[in-house]
Amino acid sequence: VPAGGAAPRPCSTRAALQGINKPVIDRIIRVDHAGEYGANRIYAGQMAVLGRSSVGPVIQQMWDQEKDHLKKFSELMVEYRVRPTILLPFWNVAGFVLGAGSALLGKKGAMACTVAVEESISDHYNNQIRTLMEEDPEKYKELLQVIKQFRDDEREHHDIGIEHDAEATPAYSVLKTAVQLGCKAAIFLSERM
Amino acid sequence: PSHSYTGQGGQESEDYESEEQLQRRILTAALEFVPEHGWTAEAIAEGAKTLGLSVAAAGMFHSDGSELILHFVSECNAKLSELLEKEQKLVQLGEAEKKPTDEFLRDAVEARLRMLIPYIEKWPQALSVLLLPRNIPSSLSLLTSMIDDIWHYAGDQSTDFNWYTRRAVLTSIYNTAELVMLQDSSPGFEDTWRFLENRVADAMNMSHTASQVQSTGEAVVQGLMGAAVTVSSAETSRALR
Repeated sequence: VPAGGAAPRPCSTRAALQGINKPVIDRIIRVDHAGEYGANRIYAGQMAVLGRSSVGPVIQQMWDQEKDHLKKFSELMVEYRVRPTILLPFWNVAGFVLGAGSALLGKKGAMACTVAVEESISDHYNNQIRTLMEEDPEKYKELLQVIKQFRDDEREHHDIGIEHDAEATPAYSVLKTAVQLGCKAAIFLSERM
Repeated sequence: PSHSYTGQGGQESEDYESEEQLQRRILTAALEFVPEHGWTAEAIAEGAKTLGLSVAAAGMFHSDGSELILHFVSECNAKLSELLEKEQKLVQLGEAEKKPTDEFLRDAVEARLRMLIPYIEKWPQALSVLLLPRNIPSSLSLLTSMIDDIWHYAGDQSTDFNWYTRRAVLTSIYNTAELVMLQDSSPGFEDTWRFLENRVADAMNMSHTASQVQSTGEAVVQGLMGAAVTVSSAETSRALR
């Protein structure tokens, strides 16, 4: 373990890479890392507009959880030697703009955006859980545990959004459909690029 | 898996080996003849002969030596990985010092380029074959995984765009050093190693400068904000008088 303030390096990752379905795991970790990164930027955008409002603390709490999620996927990315998506600079801006834009529609707008995104993410995590269970639940036990936990967290965020009157947003269904379409496109692209 | 006889006759039990394994054995044996015959069917034929096979075995491969060259590159990359893995183990056991990044990159690239030395006369021919459209997916994939390997063992843990920047920079360092090496007639290729050292130092400076520029930029913005606040409060207090 290196001295000083450097983070402890994982031991040779050759052990982690033995016998796994690399293409499948690559995609899963890459897109999940991109998703958590985007979610971080969305909450950052929302905080920039609504940070000092009454929903500020709620958004901050959800944002803090996403920061933990991102940290975990960054660790897994190094452990499994996965390439990050090349679209990160784009998600950086797009996420922030989506968060700030939805927050400018008001507190309910921000919550509607949260509901839409978190629903997309939980569905996406469920698909991944299914894929990994079909592959080999024993071999991918750690990854499955992480994804299941995160799926539960995202569902909680979704429920918080509903509690805070997301559905009362004007043009709620239009907004929700648009955001979820964007999420589907983002997932498709970041799996491959 | 098809089986093949190693040509040692009669009562011996058959060697079960796949066609792919047999091809690899022939190509490895052929490397010995490359300095003389180049990356050609002749070299492969000679290699096959040393294994006791018919020279017609060379007919399994392309006449331009594509498979032979790709096999060679793949073997060199594997050797480099083994070398870096061993070095890493020594550092983990505390038996060796962890090298600073620039020295690590320099040593890794030099070690990999030195593997070309026995074949350096015929390497330009190999490079042109590797650039054939048919071979580009394979040669590019071998190159990128080698560069990724070097960065992995150098301790790169980036999960942002730096992942791409670092690999792009190292790839260009490797490629340019390789080209310099082809034209280098200095004793022990010392011109190439000096070129390599300079390019790595340039890359380190670039990233250092980039982070300096960023922190200078941030400091300037803070200074401007401070000045704006001062001016506006001065204006306000003057207006109130």
